[in-house]
Amino acid sequence: MTLTVAPVATTTRIRDAALICIGRFGLAKTTVDDIAREAGSSRATLYRYFDGKPAIVRAAVVAEFDRVSDALVEAGRAEPTFADAVVAVVVRGARELRGHDALQFLLAHEPDAVLGHLAFGPGDRVLVAVGDAIAPAFDRWLSPDACTRAGDWLARLVRSYVLMPHPPVDFTDPFAARAFLERLVLPGLAEIGELP
Amino acid sequence: MNDVRARVLEGAYACIARRGMAKTTVDDVAAESGVSRATIYRIFPGGKEEVLRDTVGWEMDRFFLRLGEELGDAADFPEFLERALPLARRELLEHTVLQKVLETEPDRLNALITVQQHRVIGAIAAYFLPLLERDREAGLVAADVDLAPVAEYVARLSLSLIASPGRHDLADSVEVHRLVRGELLAGVLVG
Repeated sequence: MTLTVAPVATTTRIRDAALICIGRFGLAKTTVDDIAREAGSSRATLYRYFDGKPAIVRAAVVAEFDRVSDALVEAGRAEPTFADAVVAVVVRGARELRGHDALQFLLAHEPDAVLGHLAFGPGDRVLVAVGDAIAPAFDRWLSPDACTRAGDWLARLVRSYVLMPHPPVDFTDPFAARAFLERLVLPGLAEIGELP
Repeated sequence: MNDVRARVLEGAYACIARRGMAKTTVDDVAAESGVSRATIYRIFPGGKEEVLRDTVGWEMDRFFLRLGEELGDAADFPEFLERALPLARRELLEHTVLQKVLETEPDRLNALITVQQHRVIGAIAAYFLPLLERDREAGLVAADVDLAPVAEYVARLSLSLIASPGRHDLADSVEVHRLVRGELLAGVLVG
C-alpha cells in the first residue's frame, strides 16, 4: 500500500489525538478507531497517511521529542546567565514530563511500554539524542563540545530524578531545583569549560 | 534476611538464568529451592510477580556487594569512584544472566529494575556516605556541605553512568577522571 503525504494540519491532529487517547486509555487499549474518532477523521483517512497504530504512535513520539527539545532550548536561551539557563532547562524539562498525560499514564499503568526504551542500551541512544537536542540551549556560554556534555548530564539528571520513582528533590519546583543544581551540579558543568 | 527466603530467591535466580522470567513458575522455584509452594506463598503473598521483583532486587544488592568487596580500600572517595565506575561497567557487561534477560525480556526486566532502583540507590548512598565523611575529615571535601544528599546524587548518577554510559567511555581513565572530579564531585571537592 502506498501512503499519501498528509497536509501538516491533518497529521498533527492525528498525532495529538493519539496522545489524548493514550493519556485516557493507555497504549494497549487505544485503537485506530479511537484515534480517528478523537481526531474527527475517518478510519480510512488515518490509514491513508499512517501504516497503522504503531506508525501513528512512533510519529507522535518523534513529534513530542522535537516539541519538548525545542521548548527546552528556547527556555535556556532566554536566560541571562548560564546558571539561570541550566535551572530553566531542568525545571521546564521536569514540568513537560510531569505534566504529560500520555507519558504519566504509561508510567503508572504500562511501565513496560516506556521503561525499556530508557534503560541500558536503548537508554544510551536516548541520552545521546536528548543531549544533542538540548545542547544549543547553552551555546551562548559554552563551547559546542561542552554544550553537548552539559546536555548529556542534564538529560541524565532529569531521567533519574523525574522519571524514576521516589526522587529526593522535585525539579518542577524552581527554588528546590536551583538550590540543588547550584550546590551539586553547576560547579561540575562550569568546569567543563566556558567560552572565553 | 532469613534462610528460607534466601533459598527461594536463590532458586528463583537459577530458574530465571535457565529459562527467563516468563517461563519460570512458582512450581519451578519450589522444586529448585526445595521450599514448598505454600511456604513460598506465605513469604511472597504476591506469588510469582513478587518473587521475580524481589529476586531482581536481591541480585542487584549482591552485584554491588561483590563490587564493594572487589574494590577494597582506596586513598579517598574520588579515587574509589575512579576505580569503581569502570569495574562496575565491565562487570555489568559480563553479567551473563542480566545480559541474557535484557536480550529476551528487556521491557519486563527494566520495569522491575526501575521499581527496585531507589532501594539500591539508598544502599549505595549509605556505602558512599562514610567515605565522603572521611574525606571531609581529611579536608578534601567542603566543610559546610550536607553529605547525605551528595551521597544520594553520586549514587544515582553513578548508576546512570554504568547502566547507560551514552557518549562516555568508562574504560577510558582520563574520561572517568574528568567525570568524577567534574560532573560528579566538583560541587563538594575543595580546591
